[in-house]
Amino acid sequence: MEWIRNFPFFAILLAMVSGPVSSVLPGRHARRVSFLVVITSGLLSVCTLAYVLYTGEAFTYQMGAFPAPFGNEIRAGVLEAMTATFFCLIMLLSLVGGYRFTAVDIAEDRENLFYILINLLLASLLALIYTNDLFTGYVFIEINTIAACGLIMIRGWGRNLLAATKYMIMSLLGSGLLLISIAVLYGITGHLLMEPMHGAIVDIVEKGTYTEPLTVAVGLFCVGIAIKSALFPFHSWLPDAYGYSTCSSSAILSSLVSKGYIFLLIKFFYRVIGTDIIHQIQVDDVLFVFGIAGMIFGSVSAIQQTDVGRMIAFSSVAQIGYIYMGFGLNTEAGMIASIFHILAHSAGKSLLFVSLNGLTGGNWENANYRKLRGAAYRNRIAGVGFAVGSLSMVGIPLLAGFTSKVYFAQAAFGVSSTTKQLVTLVALAVSTILNAMYFIGQTINIYTPLQRTEGRPRVAVGRAMWTATVLFILLNLLLGIGSEPIFRWIEEGLRLFG
Amino acid sequence: MGAWLIPMTIVTPFAGAMAVAFCKPLRRSLRALHIAVGAFVLATALLALVTSLQEEAETVLFEFLPNVPLYFRADSVAVTFALLTVCMWLSSTVFSFEYLAHGEREDRYNIFSLLALAALMGVCFSGNLVTTYLFYEMMTLATFPLVMHEQTKEAISAGMTYLYYSLAGAFLGLVGIFFLYAYSTPGSRGAGGRLMYRAGGFLSQALTESQSSALLVAVFLMLVGLGSKAGMFPLHGWLPKAHPVAPAPASALLSGNITKMGILFIIRIVYYCVGPRFIGGTWAQYALLTLTVLTIFLGSMLAFREKVMKKRLAYSTVSQTSYILAGIYILTNPTGSFLHIIFHSVIKNLLFLCAGAVIVKTGKTKVAEWKGLGRQMPFTMTAFTIGGLALVGIPPLAGFVSKWHIATTALGSGTPYFSIIVPVILLVSALLTAGYLMGPAADAWFVAKAPEHAEAKEAAEVSEAEVAEVSEVAADVVEATEEKKENAPAPETTATTSKREAGLRILIPLGILAAAAIVFGLFPNPLVEFFEGFYLPSYWPM
Repeated sequence: MEWIRNFPFFAILLAMVSGPVSSVLPGRHARRVSFLVVITSGLLSVCTLAYVLYTGEAFTYQMGAFPAPFGNEIRAGVLEAMTATFFCLIMLLSLVGGYRFTAVDIAEDRENLFYILINLLLASLLALIYTNDLFTGYVFIEINTIAACGLIMIRGWGRNLLAATKYMIMSLLGSGLLLISIAVLYGITGHLLMEPMHGAIVDIVEKGTYTEPLTVAVGLFCVGIAIKSALFPFHSWLPDAYGYSTCSSSAILSSLVSKGYIFLLIKFFYRVIGTDIIHQIQVDDVLFVFGIAGMIFGSVSAIQQTDVGRMIAFSSVAQIGYIYMGFGLNTEAGMIASIFHILAHSAGKSLLFVSLNGLTGGNWENANYRKLRGAAYRNRIAGVGFAVGSLSMVGIPLLAGFTSKVYFAQAAFGVSSTTKQLVTLVALAVSTILNAMYFIGQTINIYTPLQRTEGRPRVAVGRAMWTATVLFILLNLLLGIGSEPIFRWIEEGLRLFG
Repeated sequence: MGAWLIPMTIVTPFAGAMAVAFCKPLRRSLRALHIAVGAFVLATALLALVTSLQEEAETVLFEFLPNVPLYFRADSVAVTFALLTVCMWLSSTVFSFEYLAHGEREDRYNIFSLLALAALMGVCFSGNLVTTYLFYEMMTLATFPLVMHEQTKEAISAGMTYLYYSLAGAFLGLVGIFFLYAYSTPGSRGAGGRLMYRAGGFLSQALTESQSSALLVAVFLMLVGLGSKAGMFPLHGWLPKAHPVAPAPASALLSGNITKMGILFIIRIVYYCVGPRFIGGTWAQYALLTLTVLTIFLGSMLAFREKVMKKRLAYSTVSQTSYILAGIYILTNPTGSFLHIIFHSVIKNLLFLCAGAVIVKTGKTKVAEWKGLGRQMPFTMTAFTIGGLALVGIPPLAGFVSKWHIATTALGSGTPYFSIIVPVILLVSALLTAGYLMGPAADAWFVAKAPEHAEAKEAAEVSEAEVAEVSEVAADVVEATEEKKENAPAPETTATTSKREAGLRILIPLGILAAAAIVFGLFPNPLVEFFEGFYLPSYWPM
């Protein structure tokens, strides 16, 4: 069974190689290649997951069998394999769901470009998940940024170009901070691989030397990731980027791209710095405050939107806030809740974007809430999808959002500080009600029949979109009802991290 | 025995709803479907009652959260509420056949009313906190479309108000659940997991003694939050807004069933989660009692001042529900509350149906327009008078017995101040009730007729009503038997404007409910004995 250890590397390589191959293929074939790559990577990840669950321990894989410090390593544990599987699944469903719109929105001669970017994005996401080397992480962050940028502007409208520019500027600022942080860490530790770096950092903290550079480096890293994953004060690029892209782009960007960065941050906390040291330099408290602020202000901004696409995008800001709040609790339970919320939010948000596109027919001019009135009757499955996604975001039992809220609340009780405990519970309560205000309001809006049956025709439902929506709904239900094994896997994965 | 039947009471209405939603041919035999579903659930609940008298049936579906499975349990409380719920649901449903116009909207109403039944059964039979919470949320989601049924601007805004109050209240409840989970005895206890209901509460003794103040605040907020469904001040705002715009059967469902589920959840928390020992004698108990007393008084006053009949009844529900809550929060013996739950459901359903019957036949919504109605609709008005007298608490009728028990328990409880205040406020409120219900009844019987200008308007409405009736009859060709019965009153209305009773499908539920109000009042003892058997005296706070 040793050969399974090659699978994570194969998945990354496959996704990377398929990019150049797609560039010479016509759009139709590029699409097939891309689907095939996503499916294959997913299957490889499933095998890896089964393997690590079977062996019960994580493994590192040295590329070209060169040992550190010369070679490059990737590492696969339960958490990595699970996240990779899940990301592949979401990506596949998003591609299938938005497949019809992709063909309409993107000029024919650029279609293969879209699929190249998808492959590249997949490669970078997998690399971010599996990497055991901080600098490799940085390289793939940049690749991820470029791919995401391309996905935002591939539609080629003025708004998309504007959004892509905004995204590029903010993202590069974030990458710059990350690079500085990694350079400082390399300077004080002399390592780039995660394990030796962790050892060196523990030494540094014990001896009390270089504590200021360390604090600065950790701070820069967190701010860099925060900018790239749209934590509250750095979210200005997000609504345009998510709201106006083509269907698959929106779904993938909102559910996966920011989560890849966040996953790297989790690795950084657990495998590079160590949660005790994080607590010692009080980064967790800062993240907690910004997370809470994001939960509230993201929702407040979402309420003010008249464009439903932007509304859903702003709700992402709130949901990202949840994740950072879980980091801020800095307990194992908090981290488990955050990771579960990464999954729950991905499943819910991509469902919402696919359904919204189904309701508007892919045209963002129709995404104004007035024009969406009664839209659920024009495209029933999209209406159901939107309702399920909304209810999940609000946190209605049986759906994914409720389960993650329960985990967050239970995590809050495990925190020693009473202030944090109360703030978390109050923030959860306020944010739930704010979420209900816009999501339920919008669901009722799309189910409010028009007085006259004039005007807008039924939106045709492609078979692909129907299937994707149904699978998304099932995924949300699965995360809501059968969270037990996933919970155990995350627990196991975090144990392997430490 | 019969444990598997419990989930069936949820699945069957749900399947019925799906059948109506997705299977067009079934829609023709919609009414038969409703009756079949209702009858099945009723039969199952009865069977569960029989079973629960011997041993408590329980069933675990699957592990929902770590340590918290979806878990159903048919104990006596559950079965009582389930039976009550099905009966009330059936009566409001039969009424809705007559009340609602045919068409797309009726289908939608039926789908959601079936879904509501499924959720209601879930709340009744759930055996741990999270299961209850789950179905409680489902119930909110299934019932707000009923409030919005008319789709006017007011209806939609009322539906949203209802939704927000419910969600906000339920979320306060959820926060409380988190606290209770943290303070519960660790480790799994039986099939229901950590949050399984146990008479007397499941809190861990050591934890509650060390840090009880935070938990007390959480429990207090939880009970206030869940009070929103039961219409308790300060979260009662949705009730008077939702009732006037909702169609009459939905109003009856809201005040007969939904408010009762709020009460059931509160009973579960007070007696089965935290235990009366924990909150007995604390500031939380007094604060809650103060809120209920305030609500009783405010509700009655507002009802007294209200001009629109259905709104008046809605305010009356606010005050009557708080009678029940006062009986619960006295914490010594909730028998009176249980009696009032049953009796108030019966009576309030009856009153709403009367108001609905008047609206269907004459379009009169205001109390002042009821003058002289007794001649036109003698049967309906008789039923209304019986209901009104029962709610005031005149001895041979149902309301008297329950109020008697609540008042005597309060007097004997030894709770400072409130042992006096509660009986006094019950009396004051009874006077107000007499004012707001007996006034219109007296007007209907003894004032000769309505003012002149209203007469002309009525005439126009009568012709409209006839047209509607004719078309309805035409639509009912399939149901030949019912048609015969309906044809009988129809010519009568065309001949004279003096008599125009509603159709039999309204009159029969009215008759049954009125009879129930009398029978329960005359022979309450079997019920009293049944409810007294619920609680062991060993866990009363002393």
